[in-house]
Amino acid sequence: MSVPNDQIIRQNVDEVYRSESRRVFATLVRLLRDFDLAEEAMHEAFTLAVTQWAETGVPENPRAWLISTGRFKAIDVLRRRGRLDGLAPDVVRRIEAVAASNDERASHDIEDDQLRLIFTCCHPAIDPMVQVPLTLREVCGLSTDEVARAFLTAPVTMAQRIVRGKAKIRDAGIPFVIPTTSDFPQRLESVLAVIYLVFNEGYSASSGDVVTRADLSGEAIRLGRLLLELLHDPEVIGLLALMLLQESRRNARATDDGDIILLEDQDRSLWNASLIKEGLSLVERSLSTRRFGVYSVQAAIAAVHATAPTAERTDWPQIVALYDALLSLNPSPVVELNRAVAMAMRDGPEAGLVMIDSILARGDLLDYHLSHAARGELCRRLGRVADAREAFNQAISLARQEPERRFLTRRLSEL
Amino acid sequence: MKYMLLIYSPENAWIPEEWKQCVEVSMQICEEMAAKGQLISAAPLHPVATASTVRVREGKRFITAGPFAETTEQLGGYYLIDVENLDEAISISSRLPPALKGTVEIRPLFKLDGLPAEKHTAESSNTETSLKKFMFLCYDDEEAWRNAGEQAHHAAMHEAVALTRRLDAVSQYISASPLHPVATATSIRVRNGQRIVTDGPFAETSEVMGGYYLILAKDQSDAVEIAAEHSGARAGAVEVRQIFDLTSLQQNE
Repeated sequence: MSVPNDQIIRQNVDEVYRSESRRVFATLVRLLRDFDLAEEAMHEAFTLAVTQWAETGVPENPRAWLISTGRFKAIDVLRRRGRLDGLAPDVVRRIEAVAASNDERASHDIEDDQLRLIFTCCHPAIDPMVQVPLTLREVCGLSTDEVARAFLTAPVTMAQRIVRGKAKIRDAGIPFVIPTTSDFPQRLESVLAVIYLVFNEGYSASSGDVVTRADLSGEAIRLGRLLLELLHDPEVIGLLALMLLQESRRNARATDDGDIILLEDQDRSLWNASLIKEGLSLVERSLSTRRFGVYSVQAAIAAVHATAPTAERTDWPQIVALYDALLSLNPSPVVELNRAVAMAMRDGPEAGLVMIDSILARGDLLDYHLSHAARGELCRRLGRVADAREAFNQAISLARQEPERRFLTRRLSEL
Repeated sequence: MKYMLLIYSPENAWIPEEWKQCVEVSMQICEEMAAKGQLISAAPLHPVATASTVRVREGKRFITAGPFAETTEQLGGYYLIDVENLDEAISISSRLPPALKGTVEIRPLFKLDGLPAEKHTAESSNTETSLKKFMFLCYDDEEAWRNAGEQAHHAAMHEAVALTRRLDAVSQYISASPLHPVATATSIRVRNGQRIVTDGPFAETSEVMGGYYLILAKDQSDAVEIAAEHSGARAGAVEVRQIFDLTSLQQNE
């Protein structure tokens, strides 16, 4: 043999690490109820795998081997820390008590450990500022540095947040469980919100390292897929569909210089057809359950756009109807604003403008740059140049992101 | 795990009829919890107008009338519970009537060795004494303790344990415990039928509640004397509140 055996083993271990490490970690967290101990134990188990598997070969069920080894490594770690007193025997007992029964558990139960971990990291008793990095760190396995880079935050700040999250879980007694039926909808909502937040952080922010930001969207989609594997819920399907359909437009939504290109001006041949195909079939699946919610409806709206050959030949009546459905599920001025824009496409700019003005007259969205930008756009179409100028100026003063300001300034100068 | 539920609401939010109803529902929940062995103790506190706050600086006592902090929503009662995890504590908290108008802050108790066993509320109220029940709310600056170092903190805790033992020896001790740092707090509100769970305490202040004592004393000034002996009074403040005796309420009906 030309390739040395240990090199093959190392490759095997690397493969198993990629496919199994997050699952092994989740199960170890459940068994040990200690994130740091679980992490250390898992790494020791993988280290041992490199030498042991070279002699014995890769075990038939590497995941079970790693969990079982990790469990005993945890005892070693505790012993080394010299903490095998007081609290530790309790942990040891827990490790040993579950050992036997755990070996017999179906792998399906072990899969559930990842779901437990997601629910734990997205627990509403954890600061939302902490939920997101904690999920990326503990569920996705990103390093603290990677999370910090993606959020343009100093690694030390991010590390503090993650430590704070783990301390809260440990000291406040946040359980490592899948929530009970009565709590489930509300708890799932916060999990979906975290995933969508991660996605949007990577999708809409145009500052910072473009590549890492895109990775964040990819990570969110991966989380969405994982969640769907574990949980067949219409809104989980809806969220994944929404993310895929938005992601499909990534290459068309800005120029090489980072200038925004509006949906109506995008080169639709740049849209990613395979992501659209997958997104569309998920939308159908979710809507057919008739138990869908806000994410599915938003995905349905994205689906109408995705299948339209041009902006003009978009099924605007359908989009307005979907916004009506969204408004009934989630009454919010921002949804109303989007509906007004769709109305303008269906019935002409005047109709949309009346609605936007009534939202602003109520005192809603006065500080939201997009309400003024939309107003400016509709005024422009109606030839009301002075009103358009005033609205765009207002929008520019409220916009916080550089590409948005550039876009609005360009719009203003074109009047 | 043991938790303290701190009930914050504006004192004037309740008309007498509502308050009575609130007490009835709360007592029912207490009975349920007691049946499951989850209840350690629970009671409303006398209005903040009757509170005294004690600080000790350079050996001198500074006693002020009124609560530690003047706020629109005040601590009106507490529950000490022993449940499986935070989710159970949240589900109990969101059933408490004050969650509808105010906030229930959930604080995990910090397990401190050496404290005397807590006395069951029922036992201590049955004793043939004229002593009244008081709660000490111990406010500390967590940052200051971190800066003071582990040794200083340890010494203060040790001193607090000694105080509880002295009180226990004269049958004036009911229960006491430090709380985990305020970063572990969770706040619960129920509005429009929706449960709102947030990370953090009811109010962000530099001095936060770091522990409590439940004791027996002759009267408010006797209680204040004892409170001044708490080691934390030298760095922070101790608010002394009389416990509202619900047994008297039941007997009157």
